[in-house]
Amino acid sequence: MSKITEAFKDEKVFISFLTGGDPSKEKTVEYIISMEDAGADIIEIGIPFSDPIAEGPVIQNANIRALSNNINTDDIFDIVEDLRKESNIPLVFLTYINPVFFYGYEKFFRRCYDVGVNGIIIPDLPYEEKDEISENAKNYNVDIISLIAPTSKDRIRMIAKDATGFIYLVSSMGVTGVRNEIKTDLNEIIYEIKSVTNVPIAVGFGINTPEQSKKIAKIADGVIVGSAVVKIIEEHGVDSKQHIQEYVAEMKNATRI
Amino acid sequence: MKEDIKIKICGLKRDEDIELVNKYHPDYVGFVFAESKRKISFEDAKKFKDDLDEDILAVGVFIDHHIEDIFYLIENDIVDIVQLHGDEDEEFVDKLKEFNNNVKIIKAIKMKNKDESNEEDIKKWENSNVDYILLDNGKGSGEAFDWKTIGNIKKPFFLAGGIGSENIKKAVKFKPFAVDLSSRAEENGFKSSKKIAKIMKKLNEVNNVGKLNQTNNGRYGIYGGQYIPETLMNELLNLEEQYNFYKNDSEFKKELQFLLDKYAGRPSLLYFAENMTKDLGGAKIYLKREDLNHTGSHKINNVLGQILLAKKMGKSRIIAETGAGQHGVATATAAALLNMECEIFMGEEDIKRQTLNVYRMELLGAKVNIVCSGTRTLKDAVNETMREWSKRVNDTHYVLGSVMGPHPFPMIVRDFQSIISEEIKEQLFEIEDKLPSVVIACVGGGSNSIGSFYNFISDEKVRLVGCEAGGMGVDSKYHAASITKGKVGIFHGMKSYFCQGDYGQIAPVYSISAGLDYPGVGPEHAYLNDIKRAEYVPITDEEAVKAFEYLARKEGIICAIESAHAIAQSIKIAKKMKKDDIIVVCLSGRGDKDVESIKNYKIAKNGEI
Repeated sequence: MSKITEAFKDEKVFISFLTGGDPSKEKTVEYIISMEDAGADIIEIGIPFSDPIAEGPVIQNANIRALSNNINTDDIFDIVEDLRKESNIPLVFLTYINPVFFYGYEKFFRRCYDVGVNGIIIPDLPYEEKDEISENAKNYNVDIISLIAPTSKDRIRMIAKDATGFIYLVSSMGVTGVRNEIKTDLNEIIYEIKSVTNVPIAVGFGINTPEQSKKIAKIADGVIVGSAVVKIIEEHGVDSKQHIQEYVAEMKNATRI
Repeated sequence: MKEDIKIKICGLKRDEDIELVNKYHPDYVGFVFAESKRKISFEDAKKFKDDLDEDILAVGVFIDHHIEDIFYLIENDIVDIVQLHGDEDEEFVDKLKEFNNNVKIIKAIKMKNKDESNEEDIKKWENSNVDYILLDNGKGSGEAFDWKTIGNIKKPFFLAGGIGSENIKKAVKFKPFAVDLSSRAEENGFKSSKKIAKIMKKLNEVNNVGKLNQTNNGRYGIYGGQYIPETLMNELLNLEEQYNFYKNDSEFKKELQFLLDKYAGRPSLLYFAENMTKDLGGAKIYLKREDLNHTGSHKINNVLGQILLAKKMGKSRIIAETGAGQHGVATATAAALLNMECEIFMGEEDIKRQTLNVYRMELLGAKVNIVCSGTRTLKDAVNETMREWSKRVNDTHYVLGSVMGPHPFPMIVRDFQSIISEEIKEQLFEIEDKLPSVVIACVGGGSNSIGSFYNFISDEKVRLVGCEAGGMGVDSKYHAASITKGKVGIFHGMKSYFCQGDYGQIAPVYSISAGLDYPGVGPEHAYLNDIKRAEYVPITDEEAVKAFEYLARKEGIICAIESAHAIAQSIKIAKKMKKDDIIVVCLSGRGDKDVESIKNYKIAKNGEI
């Protein structure tokens, strides 16, 4: 069982996202550790990209902040390297295909293996194009996290059968960002996924309140929160630690009820 | 891989006929041994076969011949394939196979008219040992039977009878393995070089189109693909399916043709730029006047097609990105005409450069959304339109304006724009009776250029030149020359060339022309570049502005600054070419929109106009 899947063994999982290098490399390491302390089970680190087409304004802005700090892919590997001195938490990269392609697939996944990245989410790499990276990802023990959307319908089984790590179930149409309400009938999609795979399911996009966290934890194996955390960093910059910690603790606790 | 449709030329009877086929190289030729005006002797056949190019296969055509005769012809290598037209039965076929198992056998079936069924005959031979079936009217009259009676035939079949250059494209739609030509390749009872040339050309076109259309997930070599969030995948697959249906739907084609002819004003003129030609003193220059289309650019060709398609798909809302505003205006126009809700996304920078187009779109009932993310130009407008689409796909179609983005967009837009080269070819044949030496067009995403190139791709002697935005020079940071200076990457749904910085960040690009101000290029161009079928050259702002002024003064045409990039290239090369060479430049749009910014450019540069 992969390190990521293992995280789902005992309880509902809370997955927290931040953009690497926002507001700085050091702070990213610090915030990840504080999220782990607060109960986060898996961390998603965003590798900044100039044109993140699946992101809403909050994460777009975090990408711009990181890039204007001259943060690059090697810096993100440095962050992981530093983090690994103190933490063993499962780590997943979130980025777009071009930075990975540019870096070189083999080199990129070898670096992932060397520094200890366990999975990768690439929103603009759908099932049909997965072969770009599947061999390298497999060779270097990096789970490719598949996304399933409310529009996936007849594609659900095909994607689920091939999934590794966990399945990222996109709660709503559109891009990332805080939403007041999740309207998609997730139960039906989860039921269908479960009929073909035991790979755990985590739900993301729009989740930001403990109530939502609690609701999702009842039907899925994990909850993913991104924009809400990034928003805290946007607001508090280098002084976000305590705010993040409190928020993550509250969200994680909600999954336990 | 889809096989090319093969061609057989039947009824050769003179030495000249053999010379002809050796020149045009059909896959098969037919020697008729049955009673007919095309009957030849075994001796003639032997001589013809000796002279025939080795890779053309000789088919012997027989009606109830003695089997020993056929054995003789096979044994002496005079025929490679046996075609049976009489009452030969399955036993006869089996005997031939026993004699030589390598000899392929074609069994001809006389297709009856509509009221009677051919099913029994076809079924019988489908389940026999013959290799191919040949469908013919059986009268040898050179008339075609009603091809609609062709059902789903399990064996590869030859389609024969009454096929010529006029109907060969229609014939291949019935998916024959090969087309069989005889009387319509003749003039005064003899095989005609001119007619065969015409037929071969048409068939090559069909086969080449087939090849280019042949995309594995929309691949052009390594380029293209569908790199897009899962949320949009089903919609793209749906779009591809619907498009593949409607592009062959006669009702759809009729409606689109009507709109193109009666609304957009097609065909657009192919204008001989005589003053320019004389002034430059080299090749003849023709301008394909896409600027004269309704809304003033080639964009309308694609937009009418896509919005009509969207309507057929049951969509009620259209969204689109725009750079210079030409695609936005065209989209808003067609949406107004076809009664669709319309929203346009435009970068803040471009809105500043093209205020008049913003008002035009609003006048046409579209909502214009200002895009303030990233570089606030075309690239960001595409990002934002994609984001919007992923929020709402059920009732919304994204009318992508160029041959870019995820499959099937590069294919759909290319197909709708290919009318440009289709017309150029026809018009130029009419005037000059020949192909152009060079076709030149500007390349941003690459829609007017692929439209201008497409029907010439298989005519390898025609040079295809795309002009990229060289901005302030490709050695500066300020250009948008993605093929000249970019690297292979994956962005906006496609693998192609992109201007990008370290670590694969998409680079901010620059051009005086908002329509070429895009960091990537359509995947088919990337492919044409790599296989060296097309050349791509950068043209600077300075060169484009000079060409813009030159064309205005010489020909009285104010063209879009985008198109002026292509004009600039024609000025560069015309002088060095011969007088009987022909350059066709695609004048993709008109220049009213640019007059003010060119004025400002001149003022900034020289302090005066």
